Amino acid sequence: MNAGDVSDGAAVPGAGAGRPAMLAGLVALAIVVLLVLVPVLPGTSNATLLTLTLMLTGTGVAINWNLTGGFTGYVDFGHAVWFGIGAYATAILMSLQSNGPQVGWPPVPAIVIGALVAGALAAVVGRATMRLKGPYFSIAMLGTFVAVREIVRVWSPLTGGGVGLTLPPYLNRALFYYVELALVVLLVAFTWWLRRTRFGAALVAIREDEVGAETRGIDTTRLKTAIFSFAGLSTGLFGALWAYQNTFVDPDIAFVEVRTIDAVMGTMLGGLGTVAGPILGAAALYWLREVLWAHLLDYHLLTQGVLLIVIVLFVPRGLVGHLDRRGTSLAELWGLKSPRRRRGPTARADAEGPS
Amino acid sequence: MTALLEARGVVKRFGGLTAVDSVDISVGTGEMVGLIGPNGSGKTTLFDCLSRVSAVDAGLIEFSGIDITRLRAHDVARMGMSRTFQLIRVYRDLTVAENMHLSIQWGELGVSQLFARTDAATRRRADELLDFLLLDRLRHERAGNLSGGQRRLLEIGMSLMSEPRLVLLDEATSGVNPTLVADIADRIRAVNAEQEVAFLLVEHNVQFVADLCERVVVLDQGAVLAGGTPREIMDDPAVVEAYFGDPGDAAGEVEP
Repeated sequence: MNAGDVSDGAAVPGAGAGRPAMLAGLVALAIVVLLVLVPVLPGTSNATLLTLTLMLTGTGVAINWNLTGGFTGYVDFGHAVWFGIGAYATAILMSLQSNGPQVGWPPVPAIVIGALVAGALAAVVGRATMRLKGPYFSIAMLGTFVAVREIVRVWSPLTGGGVGLTLPPYLNRALFYYVELALVVLLVAFTWWLRRTRFGAALVAIREDEVGAETRGIDTTRLKTAIFSFAGLSTGLFGALWAYQNTFVDPDIAFVEVRTIDAVMGTMLGGLGTVAGPILGAAALYWLREVLWAHLLDYHLLTQGVLLIVIVLFVPRGLVGHLDRRGTSLAELWGLKSPRRRRGPTARADAEGPS
Repeated sequence: MTALLEARGVVKRFGGLTAVDSVDISVGTGEMVGLIGPNGSGKTTLFDCLSRVSAVDAGLIEFSGIDITRLRAHDVARMGMSRTFQLIRVYRDLTVAENMHLSIQWGELGVSQLFARTDAATRRRADELLDFLLLDRLRHERAGNLSGGQRRLLEIGMSLMSEPRLVLLDEATSGVNPTLVADIADRIRAVNAEQEVAFLLVEHNVQFVADLCERVVVLDQGAVLAGGTPREIMDDPAVVEAYFGDPGDAAGEVEP
């Protein structure tokens, strides 16, 4: 057991130091390079690109969900509402339909505003719902999701009601793919960095013991609302991009429960509150869904439900959590370094050597 | 001695039960005060009120001359009041070191420090405290893997990380082995003498209180029953009756 590699991990325990970490970084880099090359590889069809883009979208949403659900421990069952709001805000701005406002904004500002609208609403909603604990918060967010979808359905002058809104087409699949790939890479880097800051550690402290954190001077309300708003903004951005890419939104395709469920399942499959968990989990889940859908069309939803139960029962910490408690070490994630055992207080202390 | 903490007429009710009934208590700068009383006498509830974990139903609480009765817990912590809990609250899934690093003085942090890693000075301070508490070998251990006594010690360390002016210790010695209890008493005395840190201790270990405190307050059924030096308290028949049950039994064993 090469626990000595952890060296001076006082500030960042679990941060793989030395060669294994470098190797892990190289593997991650290779994957990114491969993903960058996909669009120019021969035989890559638009359909493949679309599938990969949607997979990236799912991954991005899962990473955002993990910020509140995994780090802060506030399990949000309505996270997809920010996706829908981002999508709709962008669609409303870009749409040129007679029943929408005659704006027709160019895509970039419309997408940015779409994300900002989602973030601003998340700040308002989060301020209220994050006073609730445990299941009450989860249910309040589910309620928010359903309420917003119905508001969108009814408010036809603005949203086009049940008919939806059509956006101007832009069919360069590779561009969307690259934009989303860049966003996901940025988000991963952001999460990795955040977990190492005092802010990120404080979020985990809120999950572990909110009263304890508050009495030790952490302004828990402010921090958890801040991360919730950021996650809303970021998921709103993915929604905004999706709207333009899809060139059409209506309430039932913009506000989909499954988007939340996928984020929850993906994160749990990969590892709750870990950096690499949502990436791994969301990708695995997407692939699994395709397989199940192709081979078990009638039962694919049932199979997914059973899978969720199996994960919760047998791998509660997810794939990454199984290897590395904090999921901050890529080296351990890729299996390049044996996970440190934490059976008892003495096991680790002995490995430390003289103190 | 100016009053650092001054609480007057604090009332806390849970439904029909008045857990804290119009309690007056004060702690001077650098003073060591013991708070004793039988189980259910309202000691921990009073702590919750003072540290703003619970809202009070009536009364006034001032800390260094500022009314904190309606402030939030983290504001009070940032003003220099820290505490431990009878039911230990550590961040179980984080390491011992991370627990310590998260117990800094948050009020002094700018945004750039909030988004930075733990600095070397904080790490040194944490290591020094962990050394003292004999937890240095467990620095990288998950706090959840520690024994009850070790967690108790960790929480004491966390309460000292923020360089507080008043520490509320809730049964700091329960589950800690006797030699270490003596060491903790020494450390508390040292912190008190060197940095003028005041302590308010809830304790069942009467010897510990008698060794450390100049003044002891006795709670019974939510109200202050008596107050005075440890000797006076031990000699007070009402206290002996409420706290020790059998007069002439425990009182004689304590040497202030």
